[in-house]
Amino acid sequence: MASSLEARNIRKEYPGTVALDDISLRFDGGRVYALLGKNGAGKSTLVKILAGTVQPTSGEILINGKPITLRSATDAFAQGIATVYQELSLIPELSIAENILLGRLPHKTGALRMIIDWPAARAQAKAVLDEMGVHLDVRRKVAELGVAQQQVVEIAKAMSFKPAVLMLDEPTSALARHETEMLFRIIRRLAKSGVAVIHITHRLQELAQIADVVTVLRDGKFIGSAEFNPATPESIVHMMFGAVVQKQRPADLKAGTEPLLEVQGLSRGDKFRDIDFTLHRGEILGIAGMLGSGRTELLRAIFGADPIDAGRILLDGKAVRPAQAGSPKRMMELGLGFIPENRKEQALVLGQSIRTNLCLASMNRVGWCGLITSAREQRTTLPLIERLAIKVADAGLPIDSLSGGNQQKIVVAKWLNTKPRVILFDEPTRGIDVQAKQHIFQIMWDLSREGIGSIFVSSELEELVEVCHRILIMKSGAIAGEVSPDQITVDELVVRCMETSTVDPRSAA
Amino acid sequence: MKWLRNTILEIVLVILCVFLSFRARGFLSAENLLKILGDVSMQGIIAFGMTMVIIAGEIDLSVGSAVAFSGCIAAWIVERLTRDNVPAAASIVLAIGAAIAANMLAGVLSGFFRIRFRVPTFISTLAWMAILRGGAKLITHGFPINSFPQGFSFLGAGYIGDIPFPAIVFVAVFLVIQGIMTFTTFGRSVYAVGGNAEAARLSGIGVGRVKIAVMAIVAGLAAIAGIMLSSRLLSGNPESAVGWELDVITAVIIGGTSLMGGAGRVWGTLIGVVFLGVLSNGMTLMNVDEYWQVVARGILIFVAVLVNQAQPGRR
Repeated sequence: MASSLEARNIRKEYPGTVALDDISLRFDGGRVYALLGKNGAGKSTLVKILAGTVQPTSGEILINGKPITLRSATDAFAQGIATVYQELSLIPELSIAENILLGRLPHKTGALRMIIDWPAARAQAKAVLDEMGVHLDVRRKVAELGVAQQQVVEIAKAMSFKPAVLMLDEPTSALARHETEMLFRIIRRLAKSGVAVIHITHRLQELAQIADVVTVLRDGKFIGSAEFNPATPESIVHMMFGAVVQKQRPADLKAGTEPLLEVQGLSRGDKFRDIDFTLHRGEILGIAGMLGSGRTELLRAIFGADPIDAGRILLDGKAVRPAQAGSPKRMMELGLGFIPENRKEQALVLGQSIRTNLCLASMNRVGWCGLITSAREQRTTLPLIERLAIKVADAGLPIDSLSGGNQQKIVVAKWLNTKPRVILFDEPTRGIDVQAKQHIFQIMWDLSREGIGSIFVSSELEELVEVCHRILIMKSGAIAGEVSPDQITVDELVVRCMETSTVDPRSAA
Repeated sequence: MKWLRNTILEIVLVILCVFLSFRARGFLSAENLLKILGDVSMQGIIAFGMTMVIIAGEIDLSVGSAVAFSGCIAAWIVERLTRDNVPAAASIVLAIGAAIAANMLAGVLSGFFRIRFRVPTFISTLAWMAILRGGAKLITHGFPINSFPQGFSFLGAGYIGDIPFPAIVFVAVFLVIQGIMTFTTFGRSVYAVGGNAEAARLSGIGVGRVKIAVMAIVAGLAAIAGIMLSSRLLSGNPESAVGWELDVITAVIIGGTSLMGGAGRVWGTLIGVVFLGVLSNGMTLMNVDEYWQVVARGILIFVAVLVNQAQPGRR
C-alpha cells in the first residue's frame, strides 16, 4: 500500500504574519520523515493544515497524485491522514479497547443492536495492537498505563483507521529513553508496512534512531530536505537556525565578584536535583535548556512559588530559611522578582488597569498605611512607563489594550518598582516583537550596571549568547555544564543542549 | 457607548421610579422611600460584603443561616444576661460582640479550608448553611426567643430623626466597603486575587489572607444584619432569613459583579439592592400577585446577566 502525501505551494497567512510561505513537500509511504524547526518555524501550522484543522490560504494537498480538500479533521481521517498530538486525547476511565474504538464500538445485530459486542470489540482492538507488535491487555483501564503505553494506545487509535500517513507531534517529549526506543520500534514497523510517518521533533539526538529523511522549516519557509546522515548534526542545526548574526552585549558590562544569590543542592521531586550555582552582583546568568529540562521549575522554586525537597538558598551569604523559601511574598520582601513564562496567566490581572497591574507587587510602597489611590498609582507609573519606553495612551486603560511586548514591559516595570536585588526572567521574550526584545535586554543590562543580578531562561539560545555573562546548560533536571558566551557559537550551544543525555549529566559537565 | 453601558442600571432604575411615581399610588413619598431603604437595608448590608467575596472569586451560601444564627445567639445572650440582672446596655453590647465573633469564626474557617485543603467555598458554606441553621435551632430549642430588654428594638426598628436606624447602618456599611475597595491596598488585592490568583500570588500578595478576610467580613456583616433583624422582629427566630443568600447574590449580580471574580463594583451592588427593593415595593403598591413578584425577580436576573454579558472583557 505504498502511498504518498504531497503538499504543493502551501501558504498560510495570519493577520500580520505569514506562517507558511510557499511550502512544497512530498512524503512517501514506507519512510520516516523528521520535520524539524525551532519554535515558530511553522511546523505546527503545517501539521494542522495536513490534519485538516487549519485551512491554507493557498496551495494544494494531494494524496497519490490526486488533489484533495481537507475541511476538517474528519476529512483528513477519511483521506487516510491520521495525527497523534502531543497532548493525549484518551479517556482515562475507559479501557484500552474502548479508547481505540471510541465512537466506533461494534454492536450486536438484530434486536440487540443497542448493545455493544464486547468480544468483537476486544478482538478488533487486539488486532490493531498485534499489527503494531504490541502486547497489552485491551481490557485494562488507560488510567493504569504509563505515559509511554498511553502514547502507544493513542497511536493504535490512529492506526485503527488504517491511515496511509501518520503524523506524530513530538511523541517522545514526555518519554524516558527506553520508552522512546520502544516507540521507535513501533514506528519503524509501521513504516515498513507502507505508512508514511511524519515525526515532528526538536530532539536532534533521536534522528539517528528514527529518521530516513530530515526536512527543515525556518521562519515559515522550506529550507531543505535531505537523507539523514548521522555525521552532520551541525549542518542540521545550521539549517534550523540559519546564519545567526552574533550580537554582543555592551562592553562596559562587568559582573561583580561578590555572591548575591547562591543556590546549593536544590532538589525538587523529579523536576530537578542537586542544583548549585552562584549569581554575583550585576551578573546576568543564562540558563539554557530544552523544554522539560526543569529550568522553569527551578526558577519557580527559587522564588518560593513551588516547594523544595532539599537544598538551600542564600542571599548575601545568609541562608533563607526553608519556610521563607516557600512563599513568593517573603522572597519578594527579601528582594527577589520573578517574571513568569506565561504573562497572561501568571503575571497580569487582565481586565484591570495598566497602572494597577504595574503597582501589583509594590502596593505597600505605592500606598501609604494601606491606603492607595489611582492618583498615587499614576504618579508611580508614569516615570516607569517613560523609562521603559512603553507605548501607553492612558495608564487607566485595561492592560489587555496593550500589545504583547508592552504588556511584558509592564510586567518588568512591576518588578522594577519593588526595588529588587535579583530578578528571575523566565522566557521574557516569548511572543513579543524584536524591538520589545531589545528593550528587555537593555533593561537587563541597565540592571546589571546598577548591581542587580538577573537569571535569564530562554529557549531562544541566541538571546542568551547575546545578553548573558555566563550560561548554564540544564538537561533532565540537572546542570550539565557551564559555558561562556564569548567562547561559544549559537550552533555549538544548540548542539550541546540537544545532544544525548545518556551520560550522567553531572560527569558530562 | 461606554458611558451608557456603565450606567444602564442607574438609568433603568430612574425610569422604573418615574413609572412607579405615576402608576403606583403612594410610591413617591418621603415616607415610602425611607421605608424601602429600611426594608432593603439588612440584606443590603450583607450584599456589600458578598460583593467583596464574589470579586475575590469565592461565594458564601451560608449568610441566610448566619443571620438566623447570630439573631438567635444574640437574643439568647441578652435574655440570659437580663435574667441575671446585667444592665441592658451591657448585655446588648456583649450579645452583639459575641454574635459577630461567632459568625466571623465560621467565615475564617471557610477561608482556611479554602486555602489549606482547597475546599471550594461553595461547598464549605453549604455546610455552614446547615450547621448554623441547626445551631440556631439548638440554641433556641426550636422556639423563637421573645423576651428583650428596653432599648433592644432600637437596633432594628428605631429611628434617628425620620430615618430608620438600619438604613443609616446600610449607608455607613456601603461607604466603608466602597472606601475599602477603592482606596486601600487590601481592596486592590481583592480584585487581583479574584482576577488572577496565580498572578497575585506571584506578585507577592497574600492570597490566603485576602480570601480569609473577605469570608470573615461577609460573615460579620451577616451577624450585624441578624442582630438588627431579631431586634426588628423582637424575636430570635431560628426560622428567619431562609433563602436570603439567594436574594443577596441576586442583588450583587444585578449590580454587575461577575461571578467569575475579579470584576465588580460596590456602587453597582447598592443600585442592585435598591432596584430589587423598589421593584418589590412598587409591585406590592400596584397589587401585583405575590407569586408573580417572585417570577419577575427571576426574569430580572436573566435580563441583568444578559446586559452584563454584553460588556466587553466579560465571559
